[in-house]
Amino acid sequence: MRRMNVRVLWRSDEDDEIFTIERKTAMSEKALTRRSFLAGSAGAVALAGAAGFMGFGAWEQAHADSRSTAKTVTTAHSLCGGCSSKCGYTAYVSDGKLIKQLGDEGHPYSRGKLCARGYGYANIAYSEDRLTDPLKRNAQGKFEKIDWDTAISEISDKVKSIISSSGAKALALVHDPRPSGKYYGPRFMQALGSANVYTHGAACYLSRTSGFKQVVGGGWTSDVAHSKMTMFIGRSYADGVRPSQVADIEAAHANGADLVIVDPRLNSTALFATEWVPIKPGTDLALVLGMSNELVRNGRYDADFVAANVEGFEDWKKAIAPYTAEWAEDVCGVPADKIASLAARMAAAAPACSIEPSWRAAFGCQYANSGETARAIAVFNSLLGVWNQEGGALFLPSVKAGALDQGKFPNPPAVSEKAYGLSDLPLASESSALSVAEGARTGDIKGVFFYNSNMVAGYQNPTYLGECFDKLDLCVVIDVLMSETAQHADYVLPECSYLERFELPEFVSASTPVVSLRDQVLDVIHPNTKPVDEIFTLLANACGVGKYFDFTVEELADAQLRTVGLTLDGLRASGTQSFPEKAFVYGTTPKFGTSDGKVHFTSDACAKAGYPAAPIWTAPVADGGSDELRLIGGKQAIHCHNQSVDVAALMNITKDYGLERVWLSSEDAAARGISDGDTVHISNAQSDGTVKVHVTERLAPGCVWMPSHYGCAVPEQKNAYKVGLRQMDFVPFRIEPGYGGACTQEAFVKVEKVG
Amino acid sequence: MSFTPIWGVPIALYLFLAGLGGGAFVTAYCLRRTAPGQAESTRRFAHYAAFIVVCIGLAMLMLDAKAGFFHPQRFFLLLTNFGSWMTWGVVFLVLFTLADFIVCILDLTKHKTPEWLEVFGVIFGLLVAVYTGALLATPHAFPLWNSAALPILFLVSAMSTGAALVIGFAAIKRPEEFKAMEWVSDAHYWLPIAELVLVFFLMWVTYHNGEAGANSVLVLMVGQYALAFWLGFIIIGLVLPLIIESVGRFGKKESRGMTACADVCVIIGGYLLRWLIIVAALPVTLVVPAMF
Amino acid sequence: MARYGMLIDTTKCIGCFTCRTACQRQNGLLDDEAFIRFETRESGKYPNVHVETVPLQCMHCDDAPCAQVCPTGAAHMGEDGIVQVDQDRCIGCLYCMAACPYQVRVRNSKTGSVDKCRFCTVSAYTSGTKMCTCVEACLTGARTFGDLDDPDSEISKKIAETGAAPIAPGLSKPKIYYVR
Repeated sequence: MRRMNVRVLWRSDEDDEIFTIERKTAMSEKALTRRSFLAGSAGAVALAGAAGFMGFGAWEQAHADSRSTAKTVTTAHSLCGGCSSKCGYTAYVSDGKLIKQLGDEGHPYSRGKLCARGYGYANIAYSEDRLTDPLKRNAQGKFEKIDWDTAISEISDKVKSIISSSGAKALALVHDPRPSGKYYGPRFMQALGSANVYTHGAACYLSRTSGFKQVVGGGWTSDVAHSKMTMFIGRSYADGVRPSQVADIEAAHANGADLVIVDPRLNSTALFATEWVPIKPGTDLALVLGMSNELVRNGRYDADFVAANVEGFEDWKKAIAPYTAEWAEDVCGVPADKIASLAARMAAAAPACSIEPSWRAAFGCQYANSGETARAIAVFNSLLGVWNQEGGALFLPSVKAGALDQGKFPNPPAVSEKAYGLSDLPLASESSALSVAEGARTGDIKGVFFYNSNMVAGYQNPTYLGECFDKLDLCVVIDVLMSETAQHADYVLPECSYLERFELPEFVSASTPVVSLRDQVLDVIHPNTKPVDEIFTLLANACGVGKYFDFTVEELADAQLRTVGLTLDGLRASGTQSFPEKAFVYGTTPKFGTSDGKVHFTSDACAKAGYPAAPIWTAPVADGGSDELRLIGGKQAIHCHNQSVDVAALMNITKDYGLERVWLSSEDAAARGISDGDTVHISNAQSDGTVKVHVTERLAPGCVWMPSHYGCAVPEQKNAYKVGLRQMDFVPFRIEPGYGGACTQEAFVKVEKVG
Repeated sequence: MSFTPIWGVPIALYLFLAGLGGGAFVTAYCLRRTAPGQAESTRRFAHYAAFIVVCIGLAMLMLDAKAGFFHPQRFFLLLTNFGSWMTWGVVFLVLFTLADFIVCILDLTKHKTPEWLEVFGVIFGLLVAVYTGALLATPHAFPLWNSAALPILFLVSAMSTGAALVIGFAAIKRPEEFKAMEWVSDAHYWLPIAELVLVFFLMWVTYHNGEAGANSVLVLMVGQYALAFWLGFIIIGLVLPLIIESVGRFGKKESRGMTACADVCVIIGGYLLRWLIIVAALPVTLVVPAMF
Repeated sequence: MARYGMLIDTTKCIGCFTCRTACQRQNGLLDDEAFIRFETRESGKYPNVHVETVPLQCMHCDDAPCAQVCPTGAAHMGEDGIVQVDQDRCIGCLYCMAACPYQVRVRNSKTGSVDKCRFCTVSAYTSGTKMCTCVEACLTGARTFGDLDDPDSEISKKIAETGAAPIAPGLSKPKIYYVR
């Protein structure tokens, strides 16, 4: 049966626009059938289609010209905003609507793919919950809309008043670095004369990076794809997704690599793992010490590498002697023979093996021993001589923009002081944002700018942080959505979403380093929102430091690129440019980033900071009662911390699949009379709440796993508000001594069945 | 991902009202044959009521079919696929409604309806009732529906509710006609018994039809819908009318008020049956859930 | 003539939902309209546990139960074996959703019409996406698309190698094969 010649197979939801698949005009010669749209509507297209599916690319090409109903499609290379990876992709826009996204092949993180967030989070641009106008808190404590001029002038008056009464050191910036933001925000603070710039690091990677810095001078990248064995401690490539890493672990799995997951939870990467090693949360250090002890005891470490590169080996060796595999079993719950086997397998795989460095995962900031765990891990990798070896752990090259013309882009005078609080954290690789909270509480800090940072909800105990920031004379939040942090602000400045702004070039460290560009994809949707560069430039002008911002972001971008032999137009056209001359080469022993270029198994700095010189066992501080469980958190592949939960395309997945549920081991559930799907009450001295529970065999007994994205307390985030619980509510305020980490898993809770 | 029932109250009402209308029309014809000329005003009521409830049911269907509601011209496409029970249902409903409509006009204009026209209406009234079950029974995806017992059950329920509507009306409004309706009342008395047998046969067959079938039955009998099933459908809709009628019948204390009560119960039960069958059906299991 | 089908290797599916959101973007779907759904299965006892995620979408059955029951002919079999829904014929009666054994048809909450995976035939036309977006987007290469009637196609070879089979026996004649 032949039906009508025009069939509408798809109807645009936005505007009821009809895309007809077969054209009436083509009907005259021969009746087109439904099949024919696969073959296209023009002759050339039909030929390509007739060649079969393999000709589809050609069909697509041919079809681009023959499309009769489609409107003009514009494309732009840009960077994703779904997480901090900032993967390169190409955006296709028609009529103001983002109709297609394709990962850019040349970008080292995307390698042609985007993850679930990359597609879903882009809808933030169209969110009904967006901030659309500057807001000011009025005398009744409610936000009211004000115009930009008033907002900027009032903020600058307060800034000036703080500087005149307390000095610029009473001002601070907390930001989650983004390509433009990490230039403009710190530059603004420096121009004002303040060194107080902080990132989300304290609640993410600070302990880990600081620990690595003590031993090998900084973080590395594990060469998972080529490894014979890689151990992941808490890190899950399939839950905190970067497409290139997922591809790497899939490739490693296909190559038969021994991939070990050390995690209290059987995470989603388990699919590619040879082994899941469940561990008592907070005791990863014991496992690493036990494995290190095994290597030394059996003489299975790289003695040549150690002799040539390591400082403090003998002292370290003495210090770790008591930490046998049997000892470790008692502490971390991993059987001694398993620990011995893991160490032996790593030694056999060396140097094509490593412990993966992770970011937040299990020792980025979670425990009072996270910094020391990071040190022990860097030591373990060093024992196996894996640095810069194929399949081992690599220090990848990167490229930076060179010095700019000081006439056009004059640098503000350097600030000699350290960031507030940093001198209390001698081991920290950077300032800890928790110091800002302390400074606000004590009155040392009087004014804080938050850019793209929801510190109150995500870094630590929200009640405590909120109280600290309520004491400020000036609290300014620059964001896309209302946030828990913005709830404590005096002024909220609306930024346009990452799709509506151009940003500075992003230099990415990779085996072949690249520079990539976030180009503007969509026109600004809400006229009263502004990109970050404009916001800081307006603030700088009003605060009297405009001379350091007397250029456009595009002029700056072009100038930066010219220092590395590129141009803005060139980068716009390609999206990503690589620097093959700087490409990484296997086999060279790196010059370690420590003070003397050596690997430090013992550290004077640590000893001074109150830790043992060699990283030995340090216990987590929190301890629960017999009926309490340690509260641990983690990521899901569809969300980025709490920034993405209000985006319906992603939150609907949470709701469809009950992803806000907390996980409880079947053993702990049985002991409490709890079944899968029950509602449970979770409580400790600090907070309580109810949530549904997922009872599973995928979790070690003794802990409860709570996805760390939920429990949004902002009514304006209509999709996310009150879905699930917020892990940070249960976390007591604590700063890891010396390192500055947020100790986000030093918390215990009771779990009881409701009803 | 938990399964959400595809249809809800509007379609349950539609299936119920279509059956109710068909049943009322058939009852009216039975009165013509068994009590000729003795229940004419009840018969007229049955014709009017059948027309009204079927129209309400169709309105429910059109409201629920949102895409059609927004583009009513698409309803003409309903006659495209004669491989679909939905298409046949439309044919049956249209022809039945048409016949009933003419009968109503004749009633209103005090003309006698030719018997062939009423037989025509009866045939399509019965087909409508069968169709409401066959519609659900055809797809293989839901074990609770995918059973030959379902169309029979819905047919019996349709006749039962239709008769209840007509008898209830007579009991309250037309006592003199009510007395002449013995044959219909007798038939009506036995229908809930047949329904009980059919329901438990359906449950038994479905329970043994795979995991989804077993779960659907459990959801009805001991789970989420157990209260509606036992108290609403079985007790109020079937057992209570039986008891009331039995007391009247064997205790020789027949009261029109009690009969009307029993009829209301039957009608409530008839609706609950459609609703329960719709919402309790679970789709076949694809990925076997956790096995420990 | 081609008879298009897909192979999904669940031993590579990490359950990351990328195919779902990529499909929504490239096909211009609503936020609450997902053509791909997932079932997960956890088996074994701690700590020896196995997890499986199974993505499900329109199987483009040769004997499409949806097309059989669709009263208006909106759901129909295309001539490349791709089951389609003519959005301008659909009245939204949802009978097809009741007939589909795989629960992969969804009602568009704005138009009321029923829709489902189109093997990206529509987005191929409107925005030039590849067939199929989920195949292109999958981070682990768990999906393969191609001509089932061509014994030399990648998909045919993979089905032969792996013994891939429909998700459940006896429901219909689907054109998506699973490695499990």
